[in-house]
Amino acid sequence: MSEAKKSIYAAGGVVAAAVMVVLGSNHRDKIDLGGADAGVPLGGLVASREKQVNVPATDFFHTLSDKLKREYVEPVSDEMKLATGAVRGMVGSLADPKSLYMDKDEFRAFLNARQGRYEGIGADFVLKMPTTGAKTNKEYLQPTPNEESGDPSAPAPVSVNGASEPAIPEAPRLMVASIVPGGPADKAGVLPGDIVETVDGHWVYNSSLLRQFKEAQKKYQAKKMTLLEINALRSKLRAKYEKAVLPLRAKDKLALGQAGTVKVVWERGKALRTTDIVRGVSERPGFRVEGDTIRLPFVANSAARLKEAIAGKDAVTIDLRQNVVGDFGAMRQCLATVAPSGDYGVLVNERKGGDTALRIANGNANPPKITLLTDATTRGPAEVFALALSSKGIAKLSGSPTGGDRTFYDVIQLPDGSGYTLATAEYRPKPNVAKTTVAVKGGRP
Amino acid sequence: MKGVGKIVGLAAGLLGCYVFGYAWRDLQSGELPSGRALNALVGVKQSTANASPEQIFRQNYNRILADYVRPVKSEELKYAGMEGLMASLGDPHTVFMPPQAAQAFRDETQANFFGVGAKLQPDPMGALVATVFEDGPAFAAGLRTGNIITAVNGKSVMGMEIDDIVKRVKGPEGTTVRLTVSQKGKAKPTIIQIRRARITTPTVEGKYLPEKKVGYMMVSTFAEPTALQFDRELAKLEANDLKGLVIDLRSNPGGLLETAVDMLSRFVSDKVVVKMRFRDGREEVARSYPGQTHNFRYPVVVLMNEDSASAAEIFAGVLKDYGKATLVGNHSYGKASVQNVFPLIDQSSAKITIARYYLPFTPYFGRKVDEDGTFLTGGIEPHFKVSLDLNKDPIFGDLKTDTQLQRAIEVALSK
Repeated sequence: MSEAKKSIYAAGGVVAAAVMVVLGSNHRDKIDLGGADAGVPLGGLVASREKQVNVPATDFFHTLSDKLKREYVEPVSDEMKLATGAVRGMVGSLADPKSLYMDKDEFRAFLNARQGRYEGIGADFVLKMPTTGAKTNKEYLQPTPNEESGDPSAPAPVSVNGASEPAIPEAPRLMVASIVPGGPADKAGVLPGDIVETVDGHWVYNSSLLRQFKEAQKKYQAKKMTLLEINALRSKLRAKYEKAVLPLRAKDKLALGQAGTVKVVWERGKALRTTDIVRGVSERPGFRVEGDTIRLPFVANSAARLKEAIAGKDAVTIDLRQNVVGDFGAMRQCLATVAPSGDYGVLVNERKGGDTALRIANGNANPPKITLLTDATTRGPAEVFALALSSKGIAKLSGSPTGGDRTFYDVIQLPDGSGYTLATAEYRPKPNVAKTTVAVKGGRP
Repeated sequence: MKGVGKIVGLAAGLLGCYVFGYAWRDLQSGELPSGRALNALVGVKQSTANASPEQIFRQNYNRILADYVRPVKSEELKYAGMEGLMASLGDPHTVFMPPQAAQAFRDETQANFFGVGAKLQPDPMGALVATVFEDGPAFAAGLRTGNIITAVNGKSVMGMEIDDIVKRVKGPEGTTVRLTVSQKGKAKPTIIQIRRARITTPTVEGKYLPEKKVGYMMVSTFAEPTALQFDRELAKLEANDLKGLVIDLRSNPGGLLETAVDMLSRFVSDKVVVKMRFRDGREEVARSYPGQTHNFRYPVVVLMNEDSASAAEIFAGVLKDYGKATLVGNHSYGKASVQNVFPLIDQSSAKITIARYYLPFTPYFGRKVDEDGTFLTGGIEPHFKVSLDLNKDPIFGDLKTDTQLQRAIEVALSK
C-alpha cells in the first residue's frame, strides 16, 4: 500500500474511532439523564448537561444509594431499608392523617385489628383534626429528622414576642374511635371519643396550648395581662414541651405490645381522667347472628356469611356499631348481597380522571328490609355501607349519626413487613330524594 | 480470509471505542461502569421477579402519583422520597437537601454577614440591647445598653422572633442599617444609622464571683482567637483568690477543632485528644501540644447542656477522660462526626457523614435519633446531672436564677 493510502486509512480510522467514542458517550448520557432505557419516564425530562436538569426519581434513588454506599462512614448494606425509608418520606409528605406509613410492628397490629385481633389496650384510634378541614403539617405526623429541625416533639421555642405569624398548622389529636369489648381499655372505663392527653407522663403534642399562648401575647401587648401572668403561662408551655411526644408515637404505646402498664390521662369534654392500663391481647367477636341482629365485620368471608344469614328473612337488623376498620372490597361485596345493582353515591377525588360512582353490579334484586344500628363508632367501610344503603332508601338508620369518616383507602405492604395506607377517595352518598326531612349529616367531621 | 480478519478487527476496534465512550465518565471518576448501565447498553431490562429496592421505590412513587385522592407534585414527592431515604440511616447530619434548601445552606456557610457590635435580647417591644461593644460602630453611633430597638429600616420588629430581628440588623459589610430606638428618658424614639463592619466578638467572657471565690468563664464558641482570649481571661481571674473555676460551654455550638486542641494543651501535654476515623479505616490523630500546660491550682468544672456540640463536646470529653475537670449539667448534643456536601446534578445536595470523632476513652458519643428525629442516645454524660429551673426565668451566669451554675460551684468547692 502506498504511503498516501496508508495515511488516509489511518486518518479515517482515527476519525471513526473518535466518532464511536462520542456516540457511546452520548448513549450513556441519554441513559443516565433519563432516556427511554432508564426506567419509567416521568414528566419534564430534559436530557442535557445544563443547570436545571429534572432527574427521574428512579435515577435519583440509584444515585443517592450509590453515593451513600461509597461515602457514608458506615457500610450501607441494607438497600431495602433505604427504599422503605423513601416510601416513608413520600407518604409523610402528604401530611394526611388518613395516609400513614407504618413500620413492621405497627403494620402487623393494623392488619390484625382488621381481622378483629388487638394488642395493646384494645382500641381503635383515629387522628382527629381539631378544626374541620384544617390542614396539618407533616412535622406533627411523620417528620423527617435533620439537625436543623432538632427534636420535632419540641417545636420552636416561643419567645415572649411572636404575634404577626400566619396561622399555625394544626396538630391532630389522638382519639379513641372504638373499644374492644372486654379488653383492657374497656375494663378501665375508656369510652369512644376519649382523647389522649398524656401517656406515661409525656404530653401528647397539640396546638391548642400554643394558640392560647399567642392569644395571651396579644392581651399582654394590649396591656390586658401582666408580665407575671404571661410568664407563668410561658413556663407552663415550656414545661410541657420538654417532654412532649407526637400523636403517632403515643399511639404506639397504646396499640402495640402485650405486656406492661401504661398510664394515660384522657380528656373527655372538659374533664380529665387518669387510668393505669395493663396491655394485653383482646379480640372482637367476628361475624355473629344473635336473634334478628347481625354483627357484620368487613372481612374476606363476610359477604358469604351475610347471604346465609339473610336467606328467607323479610327483615334484618345489622349492628354497625364499634365498626371502624375493615376491608372496602369486602364491604362492596356485602352491599351487593343486600342491595340491588345501581349507583350508590360518588367517590370524590381531585385527580384528573374525576369522580367515580360507587357502583354495585350483580346486586340482590329482592333485598330484605334492613335496619342498621349506627352511632359515632360507625366509621370507615361500615359508615360507607350505612350511608350507601340509607341514601337509596334500602335501609333505615337507627341510633345516632355515624362518625364522619368516609375516606376510601388502599393498604399496601412492603417487602420488609412495613406498609402504608393511601387515601384514594372521599365517599359522598347521593342526596336522599325519598325523604324530605333534613339529610343525615353524619356526625362530627 | 485476511481481509475478513481485518474487517472483524476494525469492527471490534470501533465497538471498543463505542464502549469506551459509553463508560468514559465512570472511568473518569475511577470506576467501572455499573452492571445496570451495561445491561441498558445491550437492551436488557432489569428483572422484576423479586422486586429490588429501586423497584419498590419506583412502584410506590408511581402508585402515590396515580392513586392518591389529591394531585401530588411529582418533583416534591421525589424529593420527599430522597429525604426519607437518607433519614432512614438515623443520622441527623446525613440529610438530603432539595435545590432550595441546598442553596440556603450554601448561602449560610459562605455569606459573610456583619453586625453592628451589640448583643440583643428578646423584649415585648422588639429587641433589648443587652451589650454594646465599645469599639464597635453601634457604640460610635450612639446605641447604648438598655435601649430598645422597635424597628429596623423602618419596619416594626415588635412581636418578632429575636433570631429574625438579628438577621435584619446584620448585613453585608459596609452597608447601613437604620434602627428606631427607644431610649430611657426620651419621649420620642430616636433614629440611629449604623454602618455594618466586621466585628471581632469576644468569645470568652470572664467574671469573678467574690461571694463564692470562684471564677466563671463563658466560652460561647471555639473560634480563631478563642484560645488567646481564654488565656487572657484566665490571667485576669487568677489575679483574685480562686477556689475554683467554672468553664461554661452551654449552647456552645463548637467551631474549630484546632482551637479546642490548643485550649486542651493548657490541661494535658502531648496526649491524644481525638481520633478521626474514615470509612476506609483510615485514621487521623490529633494530639495536644507539649510543654504548654497551665498549673490549675483549683478544681475545674465544665458546664454543658444539649446545645453543647462538636468542638465543645470534644473539649469537655477530653477533660473528662483525663480527669482534668468535672462535668455538670445535661448531656451534650452528640455531634461527633464530619460531613461532606455532595452536589447533585439538579442543584440539590447530599450532606453525608464521612468520618467520626473518637475520644481517648469515652465510647463513640454520636447522636442517634429515631425515625421521627427524637433523641435516642448520644452526647457526653456529665458527672453531675442538673437542669435549669425554667420557673426562675434563668439567665446563664446569674447566681440567683442559674441552678446549673449553682450546682457547678457547689461541686467545685466540694473538691
